Amino acid sequence: MFDEPVRKRNMASLTPLIDVVFLLLIFFMLTTSFLKTQSLSVVTPSPSAEELPTDARVVEIWLMGDGTLRVDGTPVEAENLAEAVKAGIGGRKDMTVTILAESGSRTQVFVTAIEAARQAGARDVGTARVEKITP
Amino acid sequence: MIADFDEDPPRRQFETLIPLINVVFLLLIFFLLAGTMTPADNVAVNLPVGALSDDEREMPATLLVEADGFVWLGERVIDPKIAEQALKEYLADKGKERVAIKADAEASAEALLLLMEALRKVGVQQVTIVTERGR
Repeated sequence: MFDEPVRKRNMASLTPLIDVVFLLLIFFMLTTSFLKTQSLSVVTPSPSAEELPTDARVVEIWLMGDGTLRVDGTPVEAENLAEAVKAGIGGRKDMTVTILAESGSRTQVFVTAIEAARQAGARDVGTARVEKITP
Repeated sequence: MIADFDEDPPRRQFETLIPLINVVFLLLIFFLLAGTMTPADNVAVNLPVGALSDDEREMPATLLVEADGFVWLGERVIDPKIAEQALKEYLADKGKERVAIKADAEASAEALLLLMEALRKVGVQQVTIVTERGR
């Protein structure tokens, strides 16, 4: 006689629990991001390009308006940029790399150039924008 | 014979829900552990791909450069050519030591450099360009 009600309690409704868990799941799915970002420190450029050093201890990377790259005037593919800059630096410790961005060049190329300069072992990386690079 | 079929099904219904709940719980735990919650930006930008990481963490001031070259300072959208005054106001309570720039990979390098020049005029010596980890 007393057994019956106890047995019925066993099956307490799971539906509210599932509702809450689903809501939590949707919340976390929408708010999480899996994008891994990293950061690249860059020294801000001075407003006039004339302040950049132009002597023999400088390797120049030109970002042309059509998306191509040049190191000291020689066209270079993006993959070989770090090697070309390294060849320009030639093992010296006091070299500066200057990145000149022609109007029309893109941020992606700019970031690639900065990284190549850093990987090549430049002491300083200077940046400047120019309307048109005249070799 | 016919009455026999009616008796079993009601109890079975609950049992089929349990694997579903298990999976949902697993998904929930996965999103909890694997995701990182970051405050959403005003606009989505396609970050440039990079290889180097300087591993800077807390960035109180983040500037966004959209693909069309316009800059977001918090809630304001401004042309980088005339950003100086707005930057001064924006950085007044955030400090000038840690400024991050999230620039779209397709944004012109000129807009990014104009923004960096304006930052230099305001007194920021170094900025951090946010990139996405490359392949």
